[in-house]
Amino acid sequence: MMTKVREVLLLLLLPAFVPHTDGTRYSLPGKPTEIKCRSPEKETFTCWWKPGSDGGLPTTYALYYRKEGSNVVHECPDYHTAGKNSCFFNKNDTVIWVSYNITVVATNALGKTYSDPVDIDVVYIVKPHPPEKLEVTVMKDQGWPFLRVSWEPPRKADTRSGWITLIYELRVKLEEEESEWENHVAGQQKMFNIFSLRSGGTYLIQVRCKPDHGFWSEWSSTSYVKVPEYLHREKSVWILILVFSAFILLILIWLIHMNSHSLKHCMLPPVPGPKIKGFDKQLLKSGKSDEVFSALVVSDFPPTTSNYEDLLVEYLEVYVPEQQELMVDEGKDHDGCLKSIGSASDSDSGRGSCDSDNLLMDKSGAAKEEQQQQNQEGDQIGTETQGPKEAWEKETMLCANEDVVSPDASSKKVKTWPSVFSPVTPYSLSPLDPHNSLEMHKQNCLSDTQFPPGSPSSDHCIKKALQSSYWEVCFNNNQPYPQTDVHQQLQAHSDRNISAINDGNAPRNLLLPTRMTEYVEVQRVNEENKVLLHPIPSGHTREEACSWVGHGDNYSKVKGVNSDNVLLLQREVVEEESMEMAGAAESCYTSSIAINTPKSTTCSHIALPVQEERVLAVSGYVDTATMFSLDT
Amino acid sequence: MEFSTPTYAGTHLMVIQRGVWGLLLWPYILTVSMPLDCKEEPGSLTRCPSISQEKLLDRVIHHAELIYRVSEESCSLFEEMFIPLPLRLQSNQAGFACITKTLPIPSSKSEIEQMSDKWLLHSVLMLVQSWIEPLVYLQTTLDHYDHAPEMLVNKTKWVSEKLVSLEQGVVALIKKMLDEGTFTTTYNEQGLFQYDTLPDMLESVMRDYTLLSCFKKDAHKMETFLKLLKCRQADKYNCA
Repeated sequence: MMTKVREVLLLLLLPAFVPHTDGTRYSLPGKPTEIKCRSPEKETFTCWWKPGSDGGLPTTYALYYRKEGSNVVHECPDYHTAGKNSCFFNKNDTVIWVSYNITVVATNALGKTYSDPVDIDVVYIVKPHPPEKLEVTVMKDQGWPFLRVSWEPPRKADTRSGWITLIYELRVKLEEEESEWENHVAGQQKMFNIFSLRSGGTYLIQVRCKPDHGFWSEWSSTSYVKVPEYLHREKSVWILILVFSAFILLILIWLIHMNSHSLKHCMLPPVPGPKIKGFDKQLLKSGKSDEVFSALVVSDFPPTTSNYEDLLVEYLEVYVPEQQELMVDEGKDHDGCLKSIGSASDSDSGRGSCDSDNLLMDKSGAAKEEQQQQNQEGDQIGTETQGPKEAWEKETMLCANEDVVSPDASSKKVKTWPSVFSPVTPYSLSPLDPHNSLEMHKQNCLSDTQFPPGSPSSDHCIKKALQSSYWEVCFNNNQPYPQTDVHQQLQAHSDRNISAINDGNAPRNLLLPTRMTEYVEVQRVNEENKVLLHPIPSGHTREEACSWVGHGDNYSKVKGVNSDNVLLLQREVVEEESMEMAGAAESCYTSSIAINTPKSTTCSHIALPVQEERVLAVSGYVDTATMFSLDT
Repeated sequence: MEFSTPTYAGTHLMVIQRGVWGLLLWPYILTVSMPLDCKEEPGSLTRCPSISQEKLLDRVIHHAELIYRVSEESCSLFEEMFIPLPLRLQSNQAGFACITKTLPIPSSKSEIEQMSDKWLLHSVLMLVQSWIEPLVYLQTTLDHYDHAPEMLVNKTKWVSEKLVSLEQGVVALIKKMLDEGTFTTTYNEQGLFQYDTLPDMLESVMRDYTLLSCFKKDAHKMETFLKLLKCRQADKYNCA
């Protein structure tokens, strides 16, 4: 039982000994802390403290102070004016330049707790109230608005007597989320102007103050002001500038437009166009090259003057393949010069000299054979152009070009020289098919004006012609006569499509009949790629000439060259005749083209042999190259 | 007159300021015997060796403000360097009273407002004159400190020099405002300040600290009085 009682006693007493946190525990009050004193106008001041725990018992607080130099302790005169846990010292109790030693005491039933003492001097703890009567007005300065902010000092601060001097500061902000305060120090003035406002914006303004030695006051209440909309004078100036510059720009554009032509010339000089006589741009643009070239040929192109000497610059080196003769033969249906080919007597009579084996490019076997045959025959005048020529060629290559392949009958290769000469076409003998001729044509691009078979009369001998380089044209001969041979002979340099050669009459035609009795001049090439010839008035009648030719005289021998650069041919068979080959074509045999080629050297070299050769007297096909070589 | 900022450094600046101050006040000393019949004209020192009362007062006030600011900085510096935390702000605990305590200067606003202009001026003069000597002493004691910061020493030196200038200005002001004659009694004759070397280091430090604190307070007094004086003048002053 005793134990029980003891236990009970212990239990009862336990709470007394065992501390617990339920708040019922009584203790001394906590120490008041954070004693802060402030004076709003350097005349009164207030002190606040932060109480500690009250220890569970009602606690009272008291503030005691002691002035500097005195040991008398006073208690706070006013605990209520300034609120809870505060002490207010009024004017009578406030002395400046004197330190107060303040202590706060917390008292409860259990005891007292003293705070840490604090020394203060009123002069140094001045924190005024915020300024009052903040007014903001919008004013205008020559159309530009600005804000005028004015305020009053806090009521209690005695600035009038100079007891306290305050300096002010204000801050401005736009009523936007991301704008920031902009601070301005106003000094001791109570008015401030704010410029550079945003048109139509709303501003927030606050102001605060501070004594010359003390703390800043709190910010005053916010004033709102809305700036009216105004057009920036700047904007109107900019508008003016824009309009003005637009106006100037328009004027500039107009000026440029007016002078566009000359400007274009200045900046983009015109490309010089072609200055070819007879060149028709329009035709070129239309895309038909054939027509263009035919147009070129039109006017005095090839020059139809008999001044062949001038024209003929170079000559072609032609192999005289036998085929040519053959071809010539075949082509020899016509009468007259052209018929040289056609003469029945020889197979190669068809090939007029005009045709010129030179141009024979035919490599077909038949052609070759023919030529060879003709070659063999050789002496025939008519065909002779080929024959002799061939031989001639064989022996001397035309104006000797080293390059010239030795006349290889079989080769039929004709080399073309820059200046055309005779394109002897591949006589496309009957056996020849267009293809061959084509090939031949293609092989050598001989252009020879001579033989354009376009001549209306097949009887005409075609004078050789010109060599101008333009003549690298293969003419397409549609006419039976002149036809194919001619066109075979003539070959376009540019790989023209050669229209089908008229095989049938191909051989015959020829313009270049070896036995031409007449001289024909190539007038022009018509649009069908026909070489139009016209007879050249000559001393001899055509018939005569031609028939003459048909006689089978062999004019293959060159007698000599006279001073006029005329090749004198010899007629072997009948008589010796010197044929003159004049450029003007007096006889159909002669076609004298004075060629003064640069290849004279070689020519001269050949000169000798040339003489021995049979040279076609027929104008149709004398290889002027060789002839001339004699001259030089 | 140019006032340099409290953070000036360099003796030449002080010389310049002194010179300027001297130039400014020189005419006053001259005018002691000369009638003040000259109106103030800007930039015509040669012709009229006097300055207007308003400007003089303004300049004196600026001077006082500057002195206060520098003394405040010096006190803070000293406190940081040499005074341990627990002893701060308890200058009177050490038992050292301000030397000017005995001066009959009111310390409440009501009393001060009742003071006359004359009395205000004289109070200022008293204060100024009282502190000239102790500040000189302070300079010498600071040299004894081991690690006295250069700035502190300079500031103290500057303040003591400026105080002399302030005295001259106040004297001139008294003459101007109060039309008193040569009334250059030096209140320092009383020898308020007795400095004897204390054996204890801490006490010595505390005394110096008390000195600085008291001077700071008195500087503030001077400034306040002068400002009061200023606003008492007619409405030409922009007070309130």
